[in-house]
Amino acid sequence: MRRPLALALTILSLLAWVGPARAATDKEVAARAVALELAGAFTNDGFKLRDGHWAGTLAPNESRLIAVNLYAGNDYWFSAGATEEARHLSVEVFDETGAPVPTQSYNSGTKAAAGLSVTNSGEYFIRVRLDEGNRAGVCFVYSYK
Amino acid sequence: MFVRKLAVIAPLLWGVTGFASPTPSPSPSPRASTASAPLPAEQMSQTIKLDEVTIPTPGELFAALREPAKPDWASASRGPMPINYKTRAQIALNLGGLIADGFIAVEAQDTQQVKNIGADIVKMAKGLGVSESILARGNSINQFAESDEWATLQEELEATQNEVKASMQTHRDQDLVILVSLGGWIRGTQVVSSVVAKNYNENLGQILRQPKLLHFIRSKIGQVSPDMQNDPLVKKVDAQLGEIEKIVSTPFGKGLSFDEVKKLNASVTTLIQEIQKKEK
Repeated sequence: MRRPLALALTILSLLAWVGPARAATDKEVAARAVALELAGAFTNDGFKLRDGHWAGTLAPNESRLIAVNLYAGNDYWFSAGATEEARHLSVEVFDETGAPVPTQSYNSGTKAAAGLSVTNSGEYFIRVRLDEGNRAGVCFVYSYK
Repeated sequence: MFVRKLAVIAPLLWGVTGFASPTPSPSPSPRASTASAPLPAEQMSQTIKLDEVTIPTPGELFAALREPAKPDWASASRGPMPINYKTRAQIALNLGGLIADGFIAVEAQDTQQVKNIGADIVKMAKGLGVSESILARGNSINQFAESDEWATLQEELEATQNEVKASMQTHRDQDLVILVSLGGWIRGTQVVSSVVAKNYNENLGQILRQPKLLHFIRSKIGQVSPDMQNDPLVKKVDAQLGEIEKIVSTPFGKGLSFDEVKKLNASVTTLIQEIQKKEK
């Protein structure tokens, strides 16, 4: 029963600190809440949410590539959330060679996710893209099991 | 397997987005998808790499072993280790290793060991001047351990590690951050390479293939202050990491051989001994 409370406390403490180099903007904090809400759905299926994240702003048709190192045998969900200015967000995965990786994907307005089972350990690139809407705060988190 | 699990997750996604059911359309639901074109090389060189996202936690590494090797996690535990060292670099490296020990104790579901390690993390962090911010985390670790909330404990351990790092950054101890991550990676790799060596097959050898991760960690060490780079222990560790990077740099899709796993285990074990060694 403490788990929801712990998650809420963790989210609150994380919202209070989202990066070492600079203070988070209000948009980044809001986007983080959206990303964590989406990622929270996966924790019910045994996925553990990573504490780290990337947050920033994206203009329409702009994207960012985030590098992660994944282990063969694990399942992953990569989740992105955006502020209300976004209308369509997407998350895509590429392997270490730059080749696109098939995923299960989910998109709904300000939220998007991609999930996969990894068979080859190594570096992967997650592309978070604002496909439609106005300049928005965007946040990326991931879960594994 | 993953697709079947998605069937379980899909209703959760609908719940998250406020949809009571998948109909009427258009309702959001997971679907198979592939990005359209390969990434151009110049884009791959401009990726965002962050310590807290790009470096996996020990828990993530251990999760990959859970099903295929079913390790005896209790036997991977270390006995009590010193918590006071002379240099901040050595404390940071050992603190990272201690947090990895916390993940091992969680895998072993050893309540007392988790509590002991939680207390040691707080004590060791005191040596770096960050204990105030993690005292509450230490209490949480105790509570979750007492109520056997193992999944929550994994997240709590990572949150504790990040809180320590955040405190280091606040106190302009940026150089120590990568050492905490590195200490955790070394200890996690020691345990996993030992299990893989005992149960070797090609799939398990895949888990330890991490060339880009090692390259990233070494590049971060290359960015620390000259004083820190000249720390004798940091110098030794960095030199040894160069050798380890060669071992884990197999081509994408090819795991480490049995001999490479054994070599890796020997290298990280030597590193652990160096890191733990107390000067007389």
